Amino acid sequence: MTAIAFAPHSTQARRRRIAGVVYRDLAAMRRSPIRVFEILFWPVIELVVWGYVTLFLQANKVPFIVSMLLGAVLLWQVLHRASNEVSIGFLEDVWSRNLINLHVTPVTPGEYVTGLILFSLIKIAGGLAVMVTLAYVLYGFGLFSVGIGLIPFMAVLLVLGWALALVAISAVLRFGEGAQVIAWSLVFVLQPIAGVFYPVSVLPEPLQWLADAVPASHVFEGMRAVLGGAPVPWDTLALAAGLDVGYVAVALWLYTATLRHARSKGRLSRFGE
Amino acid sequence: MAILEAQSLTKRFGPVQAVDGVSLTVGQGEITGLLGPNGAGKSTTLHMLLGLVTPDSGGVTMFGLDLQKHRTEVLSRVNFSASYLGLPGVLHVREVLNSFARLYGLRDPRARVAEVAELLEIGPLLKRRTSDLSSGQHTRVQLGKALLNDPELLILDEPTAALDPDAGERIRNLLVSVARETGTALLITSHNMREVERMCDTIHFLAAGRIVASGSAAELAAHFGVVDLEEVFLKVAREGVPA
Ligand SMILES: Nc1ncnc2c1ncn2[C@@H]1O[C@H](COP(=O)(O)OP(=O)(O)O)[C@@H](O)[C@H]1O
Ligand SMILES: [Mg+2]
Repeated sequence: MTAIAFAPHSTQARRRRIAGVVYRDLAAMRRSPIRVFEILFWPVIELVVWGYVTLFLQANKVPFIVSMLLGAVLLWQVLHRASNEVSIGFLEDVWSRNLINLHVTPVTPGEYVTGLILFSLIKIAGGLAVMVTLAYVLYGFGLFSVGIGLIPFMAVLLVLGWALALVAISAVLRFGEGAQVIAWSLVFVLQPIAGVFYPVSVLPEPLQWLADAVPASHVFEGMRAVLGGAPVPWDTLALAAGLDVGYVAVALWLYTATLRHARSKGRLSRFGE
Repeated sequence: MAILEAQSLTKRFGPVQAVDGVSLTVGQGEITGLLGPNGAGKSTTLHMLLGLVTPDSGGVTMFGLDLQKHRTEVLSRVNFSASYLGLPGVLHVREVLNSFARLYGLRDPRARVAEVAELLEIGPLLKRRTSDLSSGQHTRVQLGKALLNDPELLILDEPTAALDPDAGERIRNLLVSVARETGTALLITSHNMREVERMCDTIHFLAAGRIVASGSAAELAAHFGVVDLEEVFLKVAREGVPA
């Protein structure tokens, strides 16, 4: 017999089940050239557009602009993709009417989400490698000039992106496929107040308060500070990390509550019917 | 020994009482049918047994474990297939099976996929996209998925509904032979009388969310004073639930 399984609660079984989620998404990517193309497409477009904006501004002698805008573009992509890739992994299951198959496996919600997150990391790493190389080749901007702060900056954004994805997934579970648009656009709701391309201080005061509650705003402010020669602002990064923990806790709670609600209303079986 | 025990399951969706006090047991290796007209509550019952739908009241015990408290253990030992399920369309059949073998925590996914492919004679399909399969092939692959963890209980919701009579017959024969060979218990819904008549040891007749009669095909026919299951079906569907 070859159907021998690891004990359901063993670490090996958990790893194997998470691997199943990642395997599925990797296979789907491999089989759909569009999704590989995606890794390149948006980063390249954004870099080219913003790259020329910076060149234009530079010609007009506006200081620091090059690195700040390009750094913002690159870090924004990290947040954007972290959110979208995880949502897409879930939507694949909705689109292919595979949600029931998935929910009758022993995979736990935590394992499923972990699998989606690992897959998003693989894709983001790929996209980032392309962008960093391009930014350097085209504009001579080395992202690593941000220095050691880059690691916590990215980590805060990744975690925020995953939390947003969980909110988007919950919305689709709760309101049906029509809510997909939330999966694509939720992250952009944060863009104006996250101070991606401009300092938070230009916002009206009430929005500044809101911005303080968004982990990403501390990252983008911090990045500008570092590129301007200041040391890495560890204290605000710690604050952002703390906010992240709160966001993830709320998002996980929302996801499990929505799943409970979906089971009680019989929604899981209604997708794609 | 009963591997599945459902006690007075009820489920209401808004104004609809989809399931109204269904209790049933399935023994090891037993083939049980849930027969009933459209909307009788067959799918909802199965979905409660699988934890896809939470019952309003009542409980499910499988392998002596409470489903709500031991989801992961229970679901490792059960599987499900239905005519209305899809599979990730861009993936090759082999990739779909490989991924589900992992989702079931199998030690050697590849070996198991090869074995299941041989059992269901889907070897030639392994390199095809699932979206390119005919409905007969799709059903086979779904069943392949459902056998990956060598389930002790295989729950099937109208497994042959999408198939022509010939393909349906093949799937039925396959299911019965697999069940007899591996000792897997089957719980199968259908509104095809011949299907349940031929396959099932025990049949529960479901109407308006209630089990109105249980027994072998012959017992059911005798109970309703008619010659076969088809007449039972028509009688219950047209005249409503007998008192
Ligand atoms: N998720 C759901 N939401 C609302 N109504 C549902 C849902 N699932 C089933 N129903 C209703 O419950 C009743 C029983 O449905 P179902 O269990 O699918 O019956 P069967 O499988 O026997 O045809 C039907 O009236 C159906 O419309
Ligand atoms: Mg049904």
